[in-house]
Amino acid sequence: MSLWESLKSAWQAIFSNKTRSFLTMLGIVIGVCAVVLLVSLGQGFQASMTTTFNNMGASALYISTSTDKAVTSVRPLTLDDAEALQDKTVAPSISVVSPTLSSRVTVQYGNNSANVQATGVKPVITEIRNYQVDQGRFITDQDVTARSNIIVLGYQTATVLCGTDNPVGKSVRGQGSKYQVVGTLQKMGGFGGDSYILMPLTTMQSKLTGGGNNVQQIAVKAVSSDLVDSVISEVTSVLRNRHYIRTGAADDFTITDMRETLASMQATLAGFSLFMGAVGAISLIVGGIGIMNIMLVSVTERTREIGIRKAIGAKRRDILLQFLIEAAALSLTGGLVGLGLAMLGAMLMGNISLGNTTVTPVISAGIVFIALGVSIGTGLVSGTYPAFRAARLDPIESLRHE
Amino acid sequence: MIELKNISKIYDIGDVKVAALNNVSFTCEKGEFISIMGHSGSGKSTMMNILGCLDRPTSGSYIIDSVDVAGMTDDELAAMRNRKLGFVFQSYNLLPKLTAIANVELPLIYSGNNHRRQRALAALEAVGIGKRASHKPSEMSGGEQQRVAIARALINDPLVILADEPTGNLDTQMSHNIMSLLVEQSKKGITIIVVTHEEDIAAYTQRTIYLRDGIIIEDKKR
Ligand SMILES: Nc1ncnc2c1ncn2[C@@H]1O[C@H](COP(=O)(O)OP(=O)(O)O)[C@@H](O)[C@H]1O
Ligand SMILES: [Mg+2]
Repeated sequence: MSLWESLKSAWQAIFSNKTRSFLTMLGIVIGVCAVVLLVSLGQGFQASMTTTFNNMGASALYISTSTDKAVTSVRPLTLDDAEALQDKTVAPSISVVSPTLSSRVTVQYGNNSANVQATGVKPVITEIRNYQVDQGRFITDQDVTARSNIIVLGYQTATVLCGTDNPVGKSVRGQGSKYQVVGTLQKMGGFGGDSYILMPLTTMQSKLTGGGNNVQQIAVKAVSSDLVDSVISEVTSVLRNRHYIRTGAADDFTITDMRETLASMQATLAGFSLFMGAVGAISLIVGGIGIMNIMLVSVTERTREIGIRKAIGAKRRDILLQFLIEAAALSLTGGLVGLGLAMLGAMLMGNISLGNTTVTPVISAGIVFIALGVSIGTGLVSGTYPAFRAARLDPIESLRHE
Repeated sequence: MIELKNISKIYDIGDVKVAALNNVSFTCEKGEFISIMGHSGSGKSTMMNILGCLDRPTSGSYIIDSVDVAGMTDDELAAMRNRKLGFVFQSYNLLPKLTAIANVELPLIYSGNNHRRQRALAALEAVGIGKRASHKPSEMSGGEQQRVAIARALINDPLVILADEPTGNLDTQMSHNIMSLLVEQSKKGITIIVVTHEEDIAAYTQRTIYLRDGIIIEDKKR
């Protein structure tokens, strides 16, 4: 009996018992759908993460005030701290120092408003973060010195406030002040999204965070990537000195190495993938057992058919193949349905915007092949025992079976 | 062409041994039309199963078409059934989900033949139900189903057709139609062996073998 004939008769058997076939496939459908969807989300998440880190500058170190409760006396980071780090004599390994200060603020233009993250920056930030000017210009040193009331809009904020109009030159209100838009930025993607505004650090300090010389975060970059460890020790000694921290006492600031964060997030993601794999494996095993069970029932029900087929010349191999292919086809159909549902799910999810985050599930050809391969494999494995039982049946006894 | 020599078939049921066939010897030439008669339990079906290579005897040898069947594997027996033997059963034994023509095609699938559709249709036409080709067994009368079964038995041009009570489920008129059909095939040179309870069915054949308790008690030419 040819493979084609076997496939045809397998399809007939599946189709002639639609409800049962569907219920049997359900395990595989759910398993494949869940795994494909989760894996595609994982891949989408990973892609987003990579974009985020590229935007943030993966080689930068971020200094922020310690949140450790054990540290009792904390001196906030200041603009002076940032300037001290630029001193080549005490911190020769540091090339870029970019202090920032952030706060949430509601900005309005005409009838449109948006609640966004406002960040006070110095122009040097462009050496750390991948800001690309879309229209107008970026913040300049003069803006910082003059505490100008100017802002630069993130891509999405520009769209929300001004629609398709060019925002450059427009006046935007925020927290009781007016700011002139001098530029907009290109789309960046990643977790931060594009819903933000930038303004000169000094303007931020005086207008939005109640004066003072404080900053929230200082990003620094090493002269070269092999000097990251020296940067950490230089930052530590400069800041401990400026913050009057006695020897033995803990730092009142923390230094975050983005590479470490990236590595730990990737480890988390790997763990997540492993977990998804386990969930998938379990659902496929359950689905496989369902298929085995129904194939055993089917062999019993069709004992007479097997007897007839053997009487007119079917060999063991023919019967074996018939039931094996039937199990594989059943499972593959389930896999295809599951894959279809997953693709639909991914499509629907891609259209839903999750706040600022833009995670787009990615269904790669690799996942598709693996899902279908695994479906066929599950069918073959779970069909083997029932198929052997069918092939071994005695023709006379089978013919007598009612 | 068919030769049974000292064939015994013994069933072990617990302590008791039942000899369904007891040292039976029997020969038959090509083209003979034979009936086997006997009471229920006399061993007719057992003999047919052995003749049909569906079952193996406990002892004795069976030679068909100059080949001793004894040493054959299950798959070789399956090939034998497929190419040289045709079966007709009392309960037709058609696959209920397949159409008449698909049922007739089945043996050709297992022997890997081409042009199956045409050949199956020709076989159905030869037994007079070409028009019923696309009907399922449940849509046909018993007589029609038995004709499909005969077409299926004939499709691979067998040497022997083995029919175990082929008219057992049919009314008198149908029974005679089916027997006429078998007579027709017999005239073409096919060897036919029919099991029956009824004398007027056996009357269609040229020779009758009477079985009792697994022994041939009479073998008469008509
Ligand atoms: N599988 C079996 N196991 C035990 N005994 C059997 C089996 N098949 C047939 N027999 C016995 O063998 C004898 C002959 O049976 P069978 O050939 O079916 O008779 P018939 O077809 O003439 O009615 C009977 O006594 C029957 O009970
Ligand atoms: Mg019988």
